[in-house]
Amino acid sequence: MIDFSLGPTQKEMQGLARRFARDRIAPVAAQHDRDASYPTDVIDEAARLGLLNLRVPEAQGGLGLGVLDEAIVGEELAFGCMGIYTVLMASDLGVTPLVLHGSENQRDRFLTPLVGGGARLAAFALSEPDAGSDPAAIRTRARREEGGWRLNGRKMWISNGALADFTVVFATSDPERGAAASVALVVPADADGLSWREVHGKLGQRAAPTFEMILDDVHVPEDHLLGEVGDGIRIALSTLDQTRVPVAAGSVGVARRALHEASRYATERKAFGKPIAQHQAIAFKLADMEIRLQTARWQTWHAAWLADAGEPCGHHAAIAKAYASDAAFESASEAVNVLGGYGYVDAYPVAKLLRDVKLNQIYEGTNEIQRLVIARRVIREAEA
Amino acid sequence: MKIVTVIRRVPDAEARVRVEGDDVVLTGAAWVLDGMDEYGVEEALRLRESGIDAEIVALAVGPDATEEALRTALAMGADRARLLTTDAAPDPLTTARMLAAAIQEEEADLVLVGGKQADWDSAALGPALAETLGWPVADWTTSLAVDGDTLQCVHDADVGNEALAMPLPAVVTTQQGLNDPRYPTLPNIMKAKRKELRAEPAPDASASVRTVSRTVEQRERRRTLIEGDPREGAHAIVSLLREAGA
Amino acid sequence: MSGAERGPVLVWVDVVGTEPTRGALQAIDAARRLAAAAGTHVHGVAAGEDAQVAARYLPTVHRIDALPDGHDARVRAWHASLDGTGATMFVVAGTRTALAVAPRVAVRAGGAYLEEAVTLTVEDGQVVAERLTQLQRVTERLVAEATSAVVTVKVGAFAEAEPAEELGSVEVLDVVADERDRRVTVRPHEGGSGAAVALEEADVVVAGGRGLGSAEAFDTLVIPLAERLGGAVGATRAVVDAEWRPYGEQIGQTGKTVAPTVYLALGISGAVQHMSGMNRSRWIVAINADADAPIFQQCDVGVINDVHAVVPELMKALEER
Repeated sequence: MIDFSLGPTQKEMQGLARRFARDRIAPVAAQHDRDASYPTDVIDEAARLGLLNLRVPEAQGGLGLGVLDEAIVGEELAFGCMGIYTVLMASDLGVTPLVLHGSENQRDRFLTPLVGGGARLAAFALSEPDAGSDPAAIRTRARREEGGWRLNGRKMWISNGALADFTVVFATSDPERGAAASVALVVPADADGLSWREVHGKLGQRAAPTFEMILDDVHVPEDHLLGEVGDGIRIALSTLDQTRVPVAAGSVGVARRALHEASRYATERKAFGKPIAQHQAIAFKLADMEIRLQTARWQTWHAAWLADAGEPCGHHAAIAKAYASDAAFESASEAVNVLGGYGYVDAYPVAKLLRDVKLNQIYEGTNEIQRLVIARRVIREAEA
Repeated sequence: MKIVTVIRRVPDAEARVRVEGDDVVLTGAAWVLDGMDEYGVEEALRLRESGIDAEIVALAVGPDATEEALRTALAMGADRARLLTTDAAPDPLTTARMLAAAIQEEEADLVLVGGKQADWDSAALGPALAETLGWPVADWTTSLAVDGDTLQCVHDADVGNEALAMPLPAVVTTQQGLNDPRYPTLPNIMKAKRKELRAEPAPDASASVRTVSRTVEQRERRRTLIEGDPREGAHAIVSLLREAGA
Repeated sequence: MSGAERGPVLVWVDVVGTEPTRGALQAIDAARRLAAAAGTHVHGVAAGEDAQVAARYLPTVHRIDALPDGHDARVRAWHASLDGTGATMFVVAGTRTALAVAPRVAVRAGGAYLEEAVTLTVEDGQVVAERLTQLQRVTERLVAEATSAVVTVKVGAFAEAEPAEELGSVEVLDVVADERDRRVTVRPHEGGSGAAVALEEADVVVAGGRGLGSAEAFDTLVIPLAERLGGAVGATRAVVDAEWRPYGEQIGQTGKTVAPTVYLALGISGAVQHMSGMNRSRWIVAINADADAPIFQQCDVGVINDVHAVVPELMKALEER
């Protein structure tokens, strides 16, 4: 039977992440959002505390934590700020393809330096200016040449990008053959011909730097190829199957923050002679926020548990990612309503929750794509 | 050198307090390693990091759940932990008696304990422990150094500070500003899993005080609130000062 | 136990200048109440010349001469006073020193320790006290179940005793010195609190929090107001952590506990840890621009406004008085 409780080590980890979010993230979140500035001090300290790059295996000097551990930590950090958490989440997104599909040698070379000291980031580049939800349509070209590959093309919406030690880039060696010719290549930060252009003017998650990646005759050695030619898209999708879970966990953190702010406000603010929490219209909003929060968390942990158990987790991870982000967006929206005018201004934290978590419905596979994934399985089972 | 840090598990300050019957009920309580005791764990770690060869043992008296607080101490860097289990919630003097036997067994040179306990609102544990052991004690310590067999420290007196020197073994109680306690890092939390945490029943010790009842402090304040013109606020304050005879 | 069996109630009297400290006066009041309930008398215990001052309040005073510095000597002296007088109850004001020394006396005497009592009486022959726990939010009623009881009395919980009608008599109490009392050497150390008016003794405290906005605001608002009201300056932990004010001014869970007649909280939000250090003040006044600050639930007069606007008006209004 299932044990729904956290072990003592998981509780310790949760406690550490919670304290870190409260003491280090929450006090600076609004400032970094306002300035769209990178939270260097926070990320540096996160690295020092071991909260960065959790998935790097023990063999490479990392903690080798699983998906559930990541989810527990992620919820706490996102409670502090989803934007700041995305920096950490996106780094693990760059780490995961190597964990799942890299050779031991590749893991040693690329992952060990990430946990060697200081805040070192990774990145993951699949989306392109003209290809987001349809990964088989990527046009970034990888041509075989002496000693390795030559890459040309552009990638878009790459979190951490210019700050990362390396980026896992998905490209095609033959546009006619689609996924069957796709490759996954590790592109180091110092590669010749690689440049970045930062994306400005984001609605939310403004502490998380986002880039366009420009590959202009970038050469990468042969041993930077993950798996074989033809594995590229498969590696990308199997990575996303797992990394959907930390995204869902981040959404759970935001949903919890929305409920926290709304319920505290509602117990202090008075209207018609009593705290507004005593009026059913508001009380029901709080109840619905709680319903969404609990459901989102348990589905997220369920998907995490499947991943850690080595079971196929894509379907349940898709449910968690879609549901949790929609739930958090709805809760953030309701929190704005509960706070009324105060919810609409940036002196109070809830407006930012709404702006931040909107992206959770879009990145790492839009919620529309998640629904396709989910529907496919439901239909397949009905047809069988 | 053997350093024992005494810790307690107390409710987080965010907890809301209610009394049901004669028992205190804490809602929304996260239970944490008492912040004052954290200074003690941190100081032990700093002594070791300054070059003193020391084994650091975290010691506590309490119910089984106290293990969580001991794990935090292990995750900060203590080497071993011991729990003397009891559900009795003993008072400071009784707790001191329970701790003394274990401390003597460990042949400790230095004992660090929080200067004030957050749930009892008490500063008695450290001094009572020192007296039970027959050791000298430095309370409300803001800095300390170990020089061979001697402890040098600065502590808060009633007015101002004093510098104290005393032979080891000794008890030191902590004060805010002694140090900045470190967060347990994730790698250390993982490593702590493998460190020894030994639990055994606390020795029998009869208490000399007994709680007969508890009530939540109800202090009704006037709560006259004034907004708007600062002059109105100023005048309201002057009225109160006059009434108070100040 | 009957009054006779219990012996007198002993009270330690600290003196400053030619008067007992306010704490000592409160302890004398508490001791008198305890003695009345136990059917016995109060004897004072004091160091050297202080005994003469104590004799203005108490019929019998035991004088301890040549008391060395340090807690160890004090533990010996207080314990010796219990032994030497056949007393079973010892009361002292809950100063920092007393809170460190008194529990040791209780351990040495094999007795009970009642810490920071806010009420003190005898029921069924046993000493009963109330004290505050859980960051000063819960009142606990405790019974001492040992032959002797050592009590520290919480600052501000008792009234200040009036002098007695007649001058009491002073007798010397011999305390045999012990080698062990010299194992701790004590020297003054610079960097003390430097407070002009001792915080715990002040009738009025003006305290500032982060809401003041800057360290300078203490110089322009807090200190002038404290001086005008003849009060002491206090600070929250946040302000001390920001190094705007010295630690000696900190009020709260890890700082000082005060119970003045009036506590003025400027730009202080009222977190539980801070409130626990001042919520027994007779009157609490709060000025804060944040209407949601918890302190407004626990004050007598709350001004929801900018401190920088209100304090100048307050100073003006005080001039006009």
